[in-house]
Amino acid sequence: MQDRYPDPETFSVGVMYECLGKKLDLENKTDSRGYNRMVVSPDISRAGLCLSGYTYKFMHERIQIFGETEITLLNQLSKEDRISAIANVYDFPVVCGIVTKGLIPPEELVAAAKETDSALFVSPQDTTPLIHELTDFLGEVFAGFVSVHGTLVDVYGEGLLVMGRSAIGKSEAVLGLVERGHRLVADDLVRVRKTANRLIGTGDSLIGFHMEIRGIGFVSIAELFGVGATKEIQSIDLVVRLLDAGINDEADRSGLDQKAFSIMGFDVPLVEIPVLPGRNITLLLEVAAMMNIQAKDTGCTSAERLNRKLIARMGRKRLRDKYDRSDGNCSE
Amino acid sequence: MTEVTVTVPNRLGIHARPAALIVRAAVEFDCDVWVESPADKVNAKSIMGVMTLAASGGTSIIVSAEGDEESEAVQAVVEVIRSGFGEEMI
Repeated sequence: MQDRYPDPETFSVGVMYECLGKKLDLENKTDSRGYNRMVVSPDISRAGLCLSGYTYKFMHERIQIFGETEITLLNQLSKEDRISAIANVYDFPVVCGIVTKGLIPPEELVAAAKETDSALFVSPQDTTPLIHELTDFLGEVFAGFVSVHGTLVDVYGEGLLVMGRSAIGKSEAVLGLVERGHRLVADDLVRVRKTANRLIGTGDSLIGFHMEIRGIGFVSIAELFGVGATKEIQSIDLVVRLLDAGINDEADRSGLDQKAFSIMGFDVPLVEIPVLPGRNITLLLEVAAMMNIQAKDTGCTSAERLNRKLIARMGRKRLRDKYDRSDGNCSE
Repeated sequence: MTEVTVTVPNRLGIHARPAALIVRAAVEFDCDVWVESPADKVNAKSIMGVMTLAASGGTSIIVSAEGDEESEAVQAVVEVIRSGFGEEMI
């Protein structure tokens, strides 16, 4: 089985270029040398300090960024000093280098990279956005994943991970969501990765956007409903667990008790829906997603708001009763 | 018809969470169960109904039931109320 992120075990400069070359507009300056070097760290390094001679703690195992600072520094040095500055960096086995902002790398830099069989790329993109894009991707590659049995769907931008035992009707319910214009990310098997502040889910590239519906077989959502009905990658914002009728039916009628589902040490809000005859699970999933959005926007759930109103009303009533007792003629 | 009068013992009164606990106790029985405040009488199997009573702490309410196992039903609901719903008492 293949997955939509490269395996960190075989993640080389060449693989990185394949994945990000287009997105970062990378242009290779070293005749495809050094593509076999392994990228082993999700972090990047600015080569500046090392160029200037401070080589202590230089992170040579990271991808090196040559931004405007570095290139300006090199350009103002004499040729000799420039060669020795570049040697400070390239004496280490540099994974690969990226020159940003479309700057022209000094020929000594290109030569040093070629000599040491290290790839050097140039990108027209600005340094900071490029670093963000690059570290986001590297972080996701190196995060590792867990496979979860469930169906992931984007409902109004909210990632709903629908779980429950086999044959309880996850796929049918999500098929209903797709039919209502929401987007399928993965059915049956969801690859979940943890990034800095959220969980993201993708499908498996073999399964693609197929769903298995009992009685019909494999359904290609992308072909039947179009590309608008599918999505490659989605954060996981809410877990909905479908339960058999009879289990915990009365567990929480008010929605005041907020439960959480833990994936990779990350707590995601959890809603448990008992599946009973006549219940429209698709509709309930859609409402659960909308309520989760509303709870995030307003900072509290509708159950909490209703309860606050009720408690306030009881408080007013208590005051009124007290007043009534002291003065029998009081009316509302 | 069985009837028991009970005082709401917790400080916050019957807000949403206690209402849910009352309903959970009542739906276990097939008979009709009601809760009655001085202002209104509602179905004890309806969360919204029980909440509408807005019975604050110290209010006297009447729990009643009619049908199969009516005394058990009243007993169960009264116990839940007397327990104070696991909340701070008056």
